Amino acid sequence: MAVNTGADLAQRQDAPLRPSKANPWIKNGLPLGVLAFLAVLPVFQIANDGLNYWLHMLLYVFLYVIMSSSWNIIGGYAGYISLGHNVFFAFGAYFAGMLFVYLRISPFLMAPVAGILAMLGGLAFGLIALRTRGTAFIISTIALVLLTIEVLDNWPLTGGTNGLAMSLISLEGQYAKIPFYYYLLAIMILTILASYFIKHSKFGLGLRAISQDETKAEVAGIPTRQYKILAFGISGLFIGMAGAIWGCYLTYLRPSIFLTVALGTSIVLNAILGGKGTVSGPVIGTAIMIAVNEVVVAKLGASELNIVVTGMILILVLLFFPDGIVGSLRARNRLPSFLDWD
Amino acid sequence: MIQAIQVLILGLALGGVYALMSSGMTLIFGVMRIVNLAHSAFIIMAAYIAFWLFNLLHVDPILSIVLTMPMMFVVGMLYYRILFASRADNPRFIDITVLITFASSLVVEGLLAFFFTGIYRSTTPDYAKRSFNFGPFFVPESQLFATVISIVLILGLWLFLRYTRVGSAIRATMQNRNAAQVVGVNVTWVSTLAFGIGLAMAGASGSLLSFIFTFFPAKHVAWIGMIMCLVVLGGMGSLMGALVSSFLLAAASAYVNFYIGSAWSPITFYLALFLILLFRPQGLFGKKVEV
Amino acid sequence: MGTLNVENVYAGYGSGPNILKGLSLTVESNKTYCIIGPNGAGKSTLLKVIAGLLKPREGQIKFNDEVISGLRPDQIMQRGLCYVPSDRSLFPDMTVKENLRMGGYVLRNPRLVKRRVDEVFTMFPVLKEKSSQAAKTLSGGQQQLCAVARAMILKPDMIMLDEPSLGLSPKVVQQIFGTITDLRSQGMTILLVEQNARKGLQIADQGVVLDLGTNSFERPAAEVLQDPRIQELYLGKRRQPLVTEAQK
Repeated sequence: MAVNTGADLAQRQDAPLRPSKANPWIKNGLPLGVLAFLAVLPVFQIANDGLNYWLHMLLYVFLYVIMSSSWNIIGGYAGYISLGHNVFFAFGAYFAGMLFVYLRISPFLMAPVAGILAMLGGLAFGLIALRTRGTAFIISTIALVLLTIEVLDNWPLTGGTNGLAMSLISLEGQYAKIPFYYYLLAIMILTILASYFIKHSKFGLGLRAISQDETKAEVAGIPTRQYKILAFGISGLFIGMAGAIWGCYLTYLRPSIFLTVALGTSIVLNAILGGKGTVSGPVIGTAIMIAVNEVVVAKLGASELNIVVTGMILILVLLFFPDGIVGSLRARNRLPSFLDWD
Repeated sequence: MIQAIQVLILGLALGGVYALMSSGMTLIFGVMRIVNLAHSAFIIMAAYIAFWLFNLLHVDPILSIVLTMPMMFVVGMLYYRILFASRADNPRFIDITVLITFASSLVVEGLLAFFFTGIYRSTTPDYAKRSFNFGPFFVPESQLFATVISIVLILGLWLFLRYTRVGSAIRATMQNRNAAQVVGVNVTWVSTLAFGIGLAMAGASGSLLSFIFTFFPAKHVAWIGMIMCLVVLGGMGSLMGALVSSFLLAAASAYVNFYIGSAWSPITFYLALFLILLFRPQGLFGKKVEV
Repeated sequence: MGTLNVENVYAGYGSGPNILKGLSLTVESNKTYCIIGPNGAGKSTLLKVIAGLLKPREGQIKFNDEVISGLRPDQIMQRGLCYVPSDRSLFPDMTVKENLRMGGYVLRNPRLVKRRVDEVFTMFPVLKEKSSQAAKTLSGGQQQLCAVARAMILKPDMIMLDEPSLGLSPKVVQQIFGTITDLRSQGMTILLVEQNARKGLQIADQGVVLDLGTNSFERPAAEVLQDPRIQELYLGKRRQPLVTEAQK
């Protein structure tokens, strides 16, 4: 009798493995080409200026990709939906920000530290909250966000609802965004790589087994508790780093920026829309949603209808495309190779 | 000592209203295993209805219950029918219902904000400013009325569930959905009805809350946090649990509010939530079902 | 009263494969049929389909010459066909009495329900003692009794029992089967699915072997009990396939 490893559980519902018939020039070339373009873009900014709007947009894209891809590790791979992931974001921002305001230490330096501390915090929270499953877990993440809002609003050190202003020396207009751009680009690449490597590791396989059927995964010998907590922690690492940079970029910190429901939902929506559980899904979902958002804002103004649109898209995706774009395309064998990063 | 009792009275005076708010959500979960994160958004919707009835037609908010309850009942049945009914028996679907209700809350919030703006509102009937005095103690009339009415409504719900045929069908479906089907209960119909009843309770809550708290569309987030804590603490699916946890936490947060500071009273709820999830995830009166 | 015709039924769960593959079966009134077979053969699925809890994908089912496939469970119950699932499907927090009353849910007349409950209590005095206890506090055997009693509230012509001996000790199984034999002697048509093939066949008139989703063997129960192939397969003797793939 074959030993029941988690592997068969995890692969049960995947498409059958077939040798890739994809043209490697397109499959690898296209994404690498985009990456090269992104890396080089700021050079044009330095040369000609005028691209600041696009750099700003791309910074948003990088940020959301980091957040959604990180979320994907616990929400997509392990199947534990967290609606409170922006707490990592806030933590990173406030940690680095407060160190700067009170001790004049540069956030750029502290970003990795912020990330690691966010991860540790995630591990701690996971220790408590991951004793629950499914809906109880989701509820506890919501409670975490609300709790964090209360703390940040009322703690004098964090500046309460007014927050903290960070007066940074910034480079002249033309160059201003460039350090942030490259830093976030780097973090984004790291996040995607981490996502890829996790997915192809034994750890990732275990996570997927957990998402299919946790009890059976336990019985099969997978250390579910440790894996879940680790996944939750790792998912906070890069978000924390990005938060530190972003706070610096905005030059002020307020709870209402980082801890809105809309932000928490966007992170989840991007990942689910693109395809949770895939490497490229969160990236694609983010790109689409940011584009959609731009269109909506252009047509309707930055009104309350934005969250109506976000909410409705999420509902429609959940009802009709729960596997997201990448998932649905793959199920029909129509996934373009350059989108298949698994 | 007098102070301590006064604080307790103020706390208990809110307990009934909290219980009414959480009763609908716990009923919905009990029958359909759906965590309705949009519950507070619907409460606010009802509060707006009460608000406009009051300001345009001078309808007393307490009386507006007669209108908000049936309206939200219909909304609830439609909402369930459209989004959930046809997928109810697919176990994988249950997992994403939370996200769907959450997304719905955003849609409701956005629509309310679009039509009514984000200005803080509340209804202002006369009794909203008065208090009952007895001996050294006082109770704001608005809260007393609201809690009494809430308890009456919850009692009515309990009697309905206990003594009517439909009520038995609902209870049966809560206890064992498959068994209910076996004895011939139309569980789809019962689920739709239960969702309607749950939102009707939300409707009544909205009317009552309209003169106790100020509200605005984005407030549903804060309230759902509180309601979630009450429902989980009491035990999801237990009406009695909702009642007990509501009074307990209302009293507790009143004490925290008075002796430690108003910023900390919402934290009481979240702390209670995390504690109960740690030590007794099924809540005080819940069963050891996979939540 | 109480003839069941299952005609070439195909059925499965969700979008999954067919579990029942062209199954046909006739249950004659006043007789007791026992269905045996390996796990996954579709025994429970068959009962669920007949009871209206699962719709057949092809084929039809007739009860007393009336087509019942496609009807709702409550409609089927009202035509005199009741079902006792393998997990008993009691309402754990309701009392025995309330559980019995729920058995009469499709009867809209509360007085009639009360009368039936009293009648059932006379049939099952053990339950009457426990009438105000919560169902979850009953022992396995008492729960099984309660489930059967609940099905009797509607005074059905035919009753289907899915693995009534499941999880019960041999002595209790004896008692349950005693009850079933009593029902049988009162003229009830009974369709029984049993994992405990020997016991089930001992109280049946006709034995049916379900394998791979179809009715692969049907004989008077006594013959089935003696059949050496059945003895190998289901009664605990040496292995040999009943019907080989080649023969199918």
